[in-house]
Amino acid sequence: MKNLRFTLLVAASITLLGACGDNPDTETKTDDDKATAFASTYAPMPSETTLIKNARIIDGTGQEYENANLLLVDGKINAIGADASGDAAVTIDAEGRYVTPGIIDIHSHLGNYPTPSVRAHGDGNEVTSPITSEVWAEHGVWPQDPGFDEALQGGVTTLHILPGSANLFGGRGVTLRNVPSRSVQGMKFPDAPYTMKMACGENPKRVYGQKGGPGSRMGNVAGYRKNWIKAQGYQKKREKGGEDFQRDLQLETLADVLEGKILVQMHCYRADEMVQILDIAKEFDYKVTTFHHAVEAYKIGDILKENDTCAAMWADWYGFKMESYDGILENVPFVHAAGACAMIHSDDENGIQRLNQEVAKTWANGNRAGLNISKAEAWKWLSTHPAKALGILDETGTLEVGKRADIVLWSDDPFTTYARPEKVFIDGALYFDKATGLKPKSDFRLGYGEME
Amino acid sequence: MSVFKSFTLSLLLSAIALPAIAQDYFISNAKLVTNSGDGIINNADIIIRDGKVAQIGTGLVAPADAEFIKADGKWVTPGLIAPFSQLGLVDVGAEDATNDISSKDSETSISELASDSFNPKAVSIANTRRVGVTHTVISPRAAGESIFGGSGLIANLSGEFDSIEKEQAFIYVQLGGRGTSNSGGSRASSFRQLRAALDDAGAYPSRFKGPNDGDALSRQDAAALVKALRGQMPLIIASDRASELLNIVQLKSDYRNLDIMVLGAAEGWKVAADLAKAKIKVMVDPHENLPASFDQVEARLDNVVLLDQAGVDYVITNAGALGVSKPMTLTQHAGNAVGNGLDWNKAFSAITETPAKWFGLPSTEVSTGKPATLVVWDGDPLNVTSAPTMMMIDGKNQSLKSRQTALRDRYNPANQDTRPHKYR
Repeated sequence: MKNLRFTLLVAASITLLGACGDNPDTETKTDDDKATAFASTYAPMPSETTLIKNARIIDGTGQEYENANLLLVDGKINAIGADASGDAAVTIDAEGRYVTPGIIDIHSHLGNYPTPSVRAHGDGNEVTSPITSEVWAEHGVWPQDPGFDEALQGGVTTLHILPGSANLFGGRGVTLRNVPSRSVQGMKFPDAPYTMKMACGENPKRVYGQKGGPGSRMGNVAGYRKNWIKAQGYQKKREKGGEDFQRDLQLETLADVLEGKILVQMHCYRADEMVQILDIAKEFDYKVTTFHHAVEAYKIGDILKENDTCAAMWADWYGFKMESYDGILENVPFVHAAGACAMIHSDDENGIQRLNQEVAKTWANGNRAGLNISKAEAWKWLSTHPAKALGILDETGTLEVGKRADIVLWSDDPFTTYARPEKVFIDGALYFDKATGLKPKSDFRLGYGEME
Repeated sequence: MSVFKSFTLSLLLSAIALPAIAQDYFISNAKLVTNSGDGIINNADIIIRDGKVAQIGTGLVAPADAEFIKADGKWVTPGLIAPFSQLGLVDVGAEDATNDISSKDSETSISELASDSFNPKAVSIANTRRVGVTHTVISPRAAGESIFGGSGLIANLSGEFDSIEKEQAFIYVQLGGRGTSNSGGSRASSFRQLRAALDDAGAYPSRFKGPNDGDALSRQDAAALVKALRGQMPLIIASDRASELLNIVQLKSDYRNLDIMVLGAAEGWKVAADLAKAKIKVMVDPHENLPASFDQVEARLDNVVLLDQAGVDYVITNAGALGVSKPMTLTQHAGNAVGNGLDWNKAFSAITETPAKWFGLPSTEVSTGKPATLVVWDGDPLNVTSAPTMMMIDGKNQSLKSRQTALRDRYNPANQDTRPHKYR
């Protein structure tokens, strides 16, 4: 339905331009092209045909192979299974060690709250108005954040950078390949949909309570609804077009949400609040793709399932603010067991380095509480579900033939404290190799320590 | 506060008047971490009588009246001691009214006792006990214009009103970035305040004709610092930058009796030999590897390994993590030290025996005659997938239930109860 509406809109705008008598060259200047400002220039490093054999593979679809091979050709997964083989320039004997999809973190502020955490680096939240849907996280991302390099060594191959949560509408999020680059454009996941950050609860009302509001949860909800009504009006004007039509960056993002082009990623802790938000989404006919933090998601797993809305959660953070007081150690597995789409997220430059441990913790606690979830199933919280919630599951998140070869080879069972990534591949290219010391080093790190 | 104190006292007295009859226990077939020269004993049976370890061996016979606990080859260890936390000083971090970690508008500092703020009934106590922590060091934080946070305490996690083990266990000093901003804006100002305060304590009481005659401290605060100056109570000093750590080494040579424990020391590896030589102890978080500030540009994951190799005396904390107020992830931080190259026994000691020694708590060694403060685990305690199945503090069985487990049980998808949740 939403896709159909989008297709119709694009067709209509092309017809309109054609009617103006422009030549075919200028005819390409459609709304779509305007949206390609800051286009991805990502290109992976060169890769070789690589065969990883004798691996214990968790593929992200819920399957685990005890002893299988994985063939990577032209940066893609070419074959997987006990008999997978082929002519390879490089053969790696995993000797029974684990191979998994690269980890995807759906909630990171690397680059927009980079280390060192000096004041000048606070580029992650436009704390000037409760409505800042016109800002884009990527415009605040510093590609030299040393945190990217450390996250890579923790097995993170794709990550999503979101604006902060002071605003009701915080701005656009961006999905990045975790690769070294001089520009953020060089990291942008090609054609990944944009997202929009929204926030519930304490943050917007705390930050804006003394600055014109919202000052309460009531004000929050009124603020969402007022602006969705504006966006509907803008949508109609945009459809109509004409000479008088002027783009409004703030409403453009909201209208694109209403048209299903931009995915809503919403910071929300409390169960009752999430249920209210789902009602607002129905009122204005948009979709909440993911609730982030969702510390009380375990109370409404069934409702999340009904609405096909995911929850991105921590393993054990709680109690730092009132809306996080009811956090439990089994949140992720409980949401999963209710049949909803559950995943881990970091929201933290340290946590992102060991998301496998965060999953291992919460997985073990879930099973201890009486669930029976396999490791292969729990792995979905690390790559499959984040890929789904970012609209990139067709390309990555699982080890299936034809997908991008984003892969981690582990020293040990990743569901332990002691396992470390040994090799990390992105699009089939080796970006981290513990054995040879291959790893990226931020400009910031230069000139410290012993000079050679 | 005094009402609370006298209430505590009366409970304490009633406990003395009516001694509970201790349950005896027999733990069979444990993988026992002894924290002693005996190392790890497999297939160990442990007899616990009158709250103490009565016998350890293999093939022991269970006393008739003892509760029988089958460890089935699983790990049994001493209780964990979190070397740094703010447990029980806060209910909800962001709610000032519930947060007693610091007192920015107060005129005193060192003489403030965090033990007056400590609430053993805060839900985070039972939530943290559930993950294997039996004791914790509890520290206030410096605020306002002072680099001193006041006196910290040590408590066990029984959640009882008498759970404070040491009311005045150490004094907290904030250096580094936060210390400079508290004291006026530079390291010169924070060190001036620290030296002046130590001198005030040295000149106490003669310098003080009136309550405010000190160069840095009020009479009350100077009096409270005297024990630390004499080395009768440690100073925990938060600091990360290598050059600042060398300033602390110098401080130690100027004030020789100080018992200094540096919290953080993210760049400690760079000056490890100096720290070792000066016998400065270090409380290190093995997760810290980012240049989080210009105080820790050279933080690295194997900091603790290098400190160990240099012979520095250290404990492991989770102080760099968001969850410092609640040491929920202590075992994960220790486990990652192992993952990065530290010997397992050393990492485990750094969250048990070493902090016990530093703060004058009873040894955590599991041997005959020692208090039975033990945890039975369902796996390697430093592995993130493990959890306690039983805990005792001084031979007394501890509940592993908490507000978190109550929420868990109410909303467990395996729960067949279909009544509204508030009735479950």
